[in-house]
Amino acid sequence: MLSTRLLTKRYGSLTAVEDLDLEIAPGELFGFLGPNGAGKTTTIKMLVGLLRPTSGSARLAGIDILAEPEKAKARIGYVPDAATLYDKLSAREFLEFSGDLYHVEPRLRDRRIATLLKLFDLEQRGNDFLSGYSRGMRQKVSLAAALLHDPQVLFLDEPTVGLDPQSARQMKDILQDFCKEGKTVFFSTHILEIAERMCTRLAIINHGRLVAMGSLQDLRQMVGQDGQSLEQIFLELTGSREEDVSAVLRGLEG
Amino acid sequence: MFSGLMSGIDVGLLLWRAQLRMFVNQTLRSGKPGRIVATIIGAAIIVLAWGWEALITTIGVEAARRFHAQVDVAHLLSLAFLGYTAVLVFSSLIFSLNALLLNPDLDLLLAAPRPVASILAGRMVLQVLRLFLLSLLFTGPALLVLAFANHNPLIVIVFCALYLLYPVFVVVIISLMSLLLVRVIPAGRGREILTLFGVILAVGINLLNFLFNPALRDSGFARRSGPPSLPDIPGASAPWLPSGWAGRSAAAALGGDWGSAVGWALILLLVSIVIFAFGTALSGRLYLAGWIQAVPPRRRTLAARGPRRRGSIPLLNPVLASIVIKDWRMRTRDLAQLLRFAMPVVFLFVIFGLRFPRLLSSVQGLGAGPAAAMLGLVPAWILLFSLSISLGLSAVSLEGKSIWVYAASPNTTIRFLEGKCWSAALPTGVLVALVAVIGEILIRPGLTWAATAVLVAVAQAASVTTLMVGIGAVFARFDWTDARRMMHPAGVFIGMGLFALITGASALLLAISLALAGATHFPLVTTWLAAVTVSVGGAVAVAALGLLIGNERLRGLELG
Repeated sequence: MLSTRLLTKRYGSLTAVEDLDLEIAPGELFGFLGPNGAGKTTTIKMLVGLLRPTSGSARLAGIDILAEPEKAKARIGYVPDAATLYDKLSAREFLEFSGDLYHVEPRLRDRRIATLLKLFDLEQRGNDFLSGYSRGMRQKVSLAAALLHDPQVLFLDEPTVGLDPQSARQMKDILQDFCKEGKTVFFSTHILEIAERMCTRLAIINHGRLVAMGSLQDLRQMVGQDGQSLEQIFLELTGSREEDVSAVLRGLEG
Repeated sequence: MFSGLMSGIDVGLLLWRAQLRMFVNQTLRSGKPGRIVATIIGAAIIVLAWGWEALITTIGVEAARRFHAQVDVAHLLSLAFLGYTAVLVFSSLIFSLNALLLNPDLDLLLAAPRPVASILAGRMVLQVLRLFLLSLLFTGPALLVLAFANHNPLIVIVFCALYLLYPVFVVVIISLMSLLLVRVIPAGRGREILTLFGVILAVGINLLNFLFNPALRDSGFARRSGPPSLPDIPGASAPWLPSGWAGRSAAAALGGDWGSAVGWALILLLVSIVIFAFGTALSGRLYLAGWIQAVPPRRRTLAARGPRRRGSIPLLNPVLASIVIKDWRMRTRDLAQLLRFAMPVVFLFVIFGLRFPRLLSSVQGLGAGPAAAMLGLVPAWILLFSLSISLGLSAVSLEGKSIWVYAASPNTTIRFLEGKCWSAALPTGVLVALVAVIGEILIRPGLTWAATAVLVAVAQAASVTTLMVGIGAVFARFDWTDARRMMHPAGVFIGMGLFALITGASALLLAISLALAGATHFPLVTTWLAAVTVSVGGAVAVAALGLLIGNERLRGLELG
């Protein structure tokens, strides 16, 4: 469903993502992990067509994302990390706009909007301006917009940030149901517990380079210790600095 | 109280250094060639303006010497300081309310282990220093010329002292007023209230200027009888007003009366110190008393009256229609955006509406013909100038940080620009056509001339607005949080220049057609229609070019 070959993004002398090779099958819930500044958001933005790779290629459902961006984007749903929405539109109006942009037929669009607003408990607030929405509610609206055109691949950048536990749970259920239909979810997160419980496969990126990819079991085998939690694996692969931190903190006391 | 005052000055200087550092980092030390070049060009323009100001002042000084003009210098300067007070009130109000309602840095500063009063006083000091620098920027060369002409460098020193002291009482009073004002401003409406203040001030000044400035009280196109005179406020130089102290001190310095100059300046200094010290203490108490900041704004919801409007426009592609409707909603629901629409119409009313009876009697005698038809387009062109700049140039930037919504969708950038052209050109075209039709109905130049003139106006509205959308795309800003910063100054400058070129060329072509008909005995209709065709065709070609350049910029855009 989604594959990248030697995908690279450079900003001058800084390499944000380097030679990234990914292969993701239909129906997979793929977790993309990495410390701050590792290149997660840059990768997602390249895959959804917001950034142009410096080199390498990416294909989605057999379509070259670089060569045919519009064709690829029609199959993609995207939820950014901090979704900036149009403040002076109501949620319903924003979803209508989004549906039109993705060429959803008006009657089908309206039916889906009603379903999605109900699904996200936003029915009562559907006509409120987005300026009055909390961060979590905005996150729900942007997920609804991403689902509206029935995409084949859903990209989510830190989707659970700002969500209350109930909504986070609801989002997990939605994503799992989405994958059961043979569609793919690609999401980045800092919350390793969520990734551990939800994802069929994981990739860990550090300093722009892929350091590990596979199921949780694969990753455990890679670090050579069974029964380890994802957090331990993550820290091991990305380089733990617990001791350094303690030393620095002790230094501050003096 | 004295330690609070000194601590306030200390914080103010700290903030001033930080601001200077930010300015240098964003310009000369940015490492971006474009910014460095822009800074150098800006500096060169300032130097040129200074040279011009010095020249004008020198001519003024020479003229005053030769003709021995009888002017009450103290009153004139007091009047100038009183006028400056209006600028101070407005800028201080915006500065204070911005700091209290919108800028997050005040919380950061207040978390520092310094008294709250000293932080607030520090911001006042910062504002005074900014105003001082602005005063010097505007009048520095004139002061140097005056010092040189009077062989007295002390003039510069006295004026500098007055520039530094005079804003203090206004800044302090307005800061205190702002602290009281935020208590009654609904939470979450700060930006709108600030915009409203700006509008009231702009319209108010224009209206007052129009109604009370004798220089503007003429009868339509008729010549004024007698020389123009400046508006006067007799109380401006009163000895109990700060403007009077400053004006008298400045006038005494120019006249070489140093005793009076220092005396009046000392009064200003003492009053400024007392007001600053009391203001500092009081502002700390007022701030700590708090106000309802955390209460979320009232829920704003769509009116539930009648059936809701659906997002479609007949004959327009659904994607384009959705962009037009979305932009219309954004522009009409946000006060700052709505003003981009409303202000040009309001100013058109101030310019033409208030003089309507006189103007009507002047134009009705023009008779029929193309020249009269062209004259009828003047209000439409003024409106087109404002609307094409405000709506066209800002159309792409209007997306702001939400641009990702479109960028992630399966549509091309040219489709996006098409939508933006419709979104800006539709309202502009309708309003311009309306004003052009009204103008032609009032002037009655004959049906053919009026119809073709309106056609020219509508075609120009569509093409010029399209061109502005293209320029707006080249200079688009998506990271703005304040609607006033949506448009790039270079884009505005280029847009204005191109507007002048296109409409100027169009007017010239139409004028040439009249001259050509007279010289060659061709039928006037033929040459006129030829000029109209070439004018509209040229504008459309330039607009298409602008759009292509804009599209190239958007195609290369990366939302990192």
